[in-house]
This record gives sequence, C-alpha cells and structure tokens, in this order.
Amino acid sequence: MRFNAPALALLLVFSPLACNKAAVAPKPAASQSPGIEQKPAPQLLQAQAVGVIQDFADDPGIMAILTPKQAEIRATFDLPLCVCPSGIFRGRNGEENLLGYWVTDTMRARAAKILGKPVKFAMTNSGGLRANLAAGQLKVSDIYGVMPFENELVTLEMTGQDVMDAIKQGILHRGSEPSSGIKMVLTGTVEKPDFVITWEDGTAIKPDEVVTAATTDYLYNGGDSIPALKKGRHPFTTGVAMRQLLLDACADLAKTGKPLEPPALGRYRIPPELYAAAREHKLGK
Amino acid sequence: MERRHFLASIATAATASQAMLRGAEGGQDSRNPSRITLLHTNDTHSHIEPFGPGNGQASGKGGMARRATMVKQVRASVPNLLLLDAGDTFQGTPYFNQYKGKLDFELMTKVGYDASTLGNHDFDNGVDMLLEAMEFAKFPFLNCNFDCKGAPTLAKRLAPWMVKEFPGFKVGLTGVGVDFKGLVSAENHKGVDWRSPEEALKPVIRHLREVEKVDLVVLISHLGYDLRGDAIDDLALPKLVPGIDAIIGGHSHTFLDQPTKIQQSLGETLVFQVGWGGINLGRMDFAMSKGQVRASSGIPVPVSAIA
Repeated sequence: MRFNAPALALLLVFSPLACNKAAVAPKPAASQSPGIEQKPAPQLLQAQAVGVIQDFADDPGIMAILTPKQAEIRATFDLPLCVCPSGIFRGRNGEENLLGYWVTDTMRARAAKILGKPVKFAMTNSGGLRANLAAGQLKVSDIYGVMPFENELVTLEMTGQDVMDAIKQGILHRGSEPSSGIKMVLTGTVEKPDFVITWEDGTAIKPDEVVTAATTDYLYNGGDSIPALKKGRHPFTTGVAMRQLLLDACADLAKTGKPLEPPALGRYRIPPELYAAAREHKLGK
Repeated sequence: MERRHFLASIATAATASQAMLRGAEGGQDSRNPSRITLLHTNDTHSHIEPFGPGNGQASGKGGMARRATMVKQVRASVPNLLLLDAGDTFQGTPYFNQYKGKLDFELMTKVGYDASTLGNHDFDNGVDMLLEAMEFAKFPFLNCNFDCKGAPTLAKRLAPWMVKEFPGFKVGLTGVGVDFKGLVSAENHKGVDWRSPEEALKPVIRHLREVEKVDLVVLISHLGYDLRGDAIDDLALPKLVPGIDAIIGGHSHTFLDQPTKIQQSLGETLVFQVGWGGINLGRMDFAMSKGQVRASSGIPVPVSAIA
C-alpha cells in the first residue's frame, strides 16, 4: 500500500461521509412510476476518521477495454516528427500566440503552394488550437492535440478593408485571433482604441486592394463570429485538412533535419489593459 | 467571479471536507436527513488517458481508469450517488479521431454514469455520427432546449428530464445546451434547432417540482459559467429560472474551487464546474429533509495517480 499526497487528499475529502457497511442504504432503483413505497431515509452517520489509505490504481475493468485501443493509437500516433527544441505556446493573458502564428504561417505557405501564387494573409481562431507544443521530440499525437478538428484549409479573395476588419473583429471578439502577413499595434484607450494594422513589411493596407487569403472552413462558414471573412470572394475549399498541413510541415522539417522554431514576437502588440478590456467585451469600437 | 486555479493541496481539501460536515450537522432535521452525493465531470474532450508531461498543472492528472477507481471508492462510502457529465465528451485527443466518440461512451458506461448532456463539440462529426457513438452509451442524455423535429432519431435518444428515486426521496434531472450559432456548423446540427434555455426550462422545472414532487432538482448545463453578458449562462440561470438546486456546468472549462451559491426566489442554487479534460472529479453533497435542502457543499477532487 502506497501513501502520498493525492491519496491522502482523497481520504480527507471522503472520510467525513464514510459509512459503515451495515448502514448503507440499498441501491436505489431509477423509476418514473408513481406510488413507489417511501422507505425511511437513511441514518446520517457520524463522521469518523478512516484509517485506510487507498490509492487511485487504474480500474482493471476500464484497462481491459482500453489496453488494446492504446496499442492501436500508439502504433500511429506515437510516430516521431521533427524536434521542437523550445516548444511553441499559445500564450496566456495577452501574451502573443506564437503557436497561432506558426499555424497561420503554415496555412499561408501551403495555400500558396496549392494555388501557385502568393497568399498575403491567413487567419485562424485561437479557440481551435487546443494544445501547446511542448519542447522536445514531436509526435503525430502532438499535432492531433493542437488541431483535433477536421477543419480544412480554404482560400479566398479579400479586400484590404476586409483584412483589417477581420483583425479588428478578432480582437473585439476574443482579445485577438492569430494571423499571418500583417502587423497590428493597438494604442489609445479602452473607450477609444486605435488599431494600426499594416502588412508584415510595414506597408499600408489599402482598403480597396484585393489579395489572396487563407482561413479555415470553420471560420469562413461563420464560426467564432468574424463576419469579415465571410465577405471573402471566390472561396476554394482545398481539401487539405488543417491537421494534415501541420503534419506535413513537421515531416518536411524532419526530412531535412531542421528543428521547428517559434515565429518571432512582435506581430500583435496589445497593451495588457486593452487586452483585458477586449476579453471583457468592453473595448470601444 | 471566475477562479482559474487548481485545488490540489491537502490542507484545502481538508478544510472543504470539514465545511461539508458542518453543513450537514447544521440542518433543521439533522438526525434524519436524506443525503445524496453528486459526482460530475464536464468537457472531458476524449482525455481517456491522463495528461502527459508538458501540460503544466494538468500533467499527470486525469484518465478514465483512475476516475473509475475514484468513483467506485465514493460509491462504496455513501448511501446515494449520481454520476453525471455536462457534455463535450468528444474532440481533443487521437482517441476521438480514431474511435469517433464510441470509446468515450463505452468507457463512461463502464464507469457507471447515470446521465449526461450534449455539448457543442459532441456535434463535431454531425448528427448521424453522434447517434452511432450514442449506441455505446447505456445511460440517458438529458436536454430540454434542443428542438429535434428534423432529427427524429436523436429526439428519441434525448430525454427532456428524468426522475431518479432513492429511498425516501426523489431527484429530478434535466439538461440544457449552448446555442449552436458560431460554434457548430449548420450541416453538423442539421435537423436540430436551439431554443432559449430559460423558456425551455421553466415548464420542466415546474413539472419536476409540482407534478413529480422531487426533493432535489439538478440541471446539467453546457451553457458556460460566465459568458460576460454575451448569452445566458449558468450564473444567470438561477434567478431567471428559480427552483434549481444544483447546476453542474460545462462549456467554459472553468476551474472552481467550490460551488458558487446564488440566492433565487425559491432558495439557493449551487453552480459548479470543474475545469475540463477529466482533471478533476466534481463532488457535491446535499442533505434534505421534508422536501427541502438543509445543507450542501462541494469540492473538486483532483484525479491524480500514485506513481
């Protein structure tokens, strides 16, 4: 019998309600039927310390079902990809979403490869990235953890105004949504914020210019409330799953022996007080 | 107020257990109350195995096999127990990609869940594949605010409410789900429309209280704890729909270190949610007499393993 902190915590939580076996009520029966005999309520037992420490061993019945499935999963999902020496993280409480930057950079590159022309902008949703990439050897399951959904890469044409609106809507809706191809600096006050959005090389975005962009079918179809993306024209669903393009990018790095490094900081600059206001939906428009 | 931190220390857990005890002793009929324990999870997101290293404070926590052991231990030590889940069982690990939710529901059946509800991610593969997975769930799914006129097979699988009878008292249970808008593509919830949970719940709570004469009303909710005014949430519901004793919440992945108590016109509602991924097993205890809740308490219990 082992004794450590988690086991003791459980014991302390449960012990005041412990009953001796003789006093445990009979197992109840689920019923909707009226007229069931009303039995006396069980006696409330005195709390008592229980001198038994139990651990949380895996339940054998669950493991009997799970063990063969684990083997199946690991045969596929433990396959190694590239090395990610420092990890890539989504950021917390307004920190920049470097994982989102990597994903959108990868979307842009893949879309450009599919279309055979430059893709100027890409956007995904932070809520769709479900895990960080921890430092070390990446496995297939790590990419599934980041992108478990079956979403696909969509290309479209957007005006410069729609690009700026999409960035702004992402900030107002969730604090920010990760993008590639732009830089955004938020200044001003909570009541009167000033969104300064340029292309990544610092040149101005012209409202009426038309560029090729990439997003996910989820966002294009209205998910996460970024209506500017829906205004994009000539949408093309590429048939490439978002997860697959991330797997392919890691596999390409592995082939060349290169590590996966996080993108540079500085793409979105949002002061903490304005980020907090945006998360609370109190940032002025 | 959302409190996103873990309760993992022994000292805190011990304090919580003492509070539970004082509450029970302080009832009006402390010699002979009926007692029930609610164990609950939410947003497990196919985390069938424990979290691996590199997941911060979640590392090493969770896992269905350990959860099953914990549930068995509690079941053996209390007279009356319900094991409930607040939805979003699907999506999050390769297990879902490989087994499409069937394994999750099979294991939940084995652990002994009494009821669950549906979250937005449970529609990620569409209604037909949800139904295929539900074949592996031998427990009811509760929801009263999905209009399934266009999905009759799903309608048969959802119950608007249920009553569980225990010796000397009855528990009424119902469930609500979050608006699909912006969360689930139209194709994936085809035939299922969302209705206001407030309007859907009012007649259900009235029926449970006045017709079924239940002693305790439990709502399993996938609305979210605090949506900051965006939409109706678990914090708003008690005042809008009085008569709910406990809300077991999900959707917002909120880690609470104890239930939030909200006074409403018919009494008090405990609103609880225990994070996500099966990191914690939620526990609420109620002592009742003469059809009234006399004492209540709750804590999250970390699903930790012995190495």
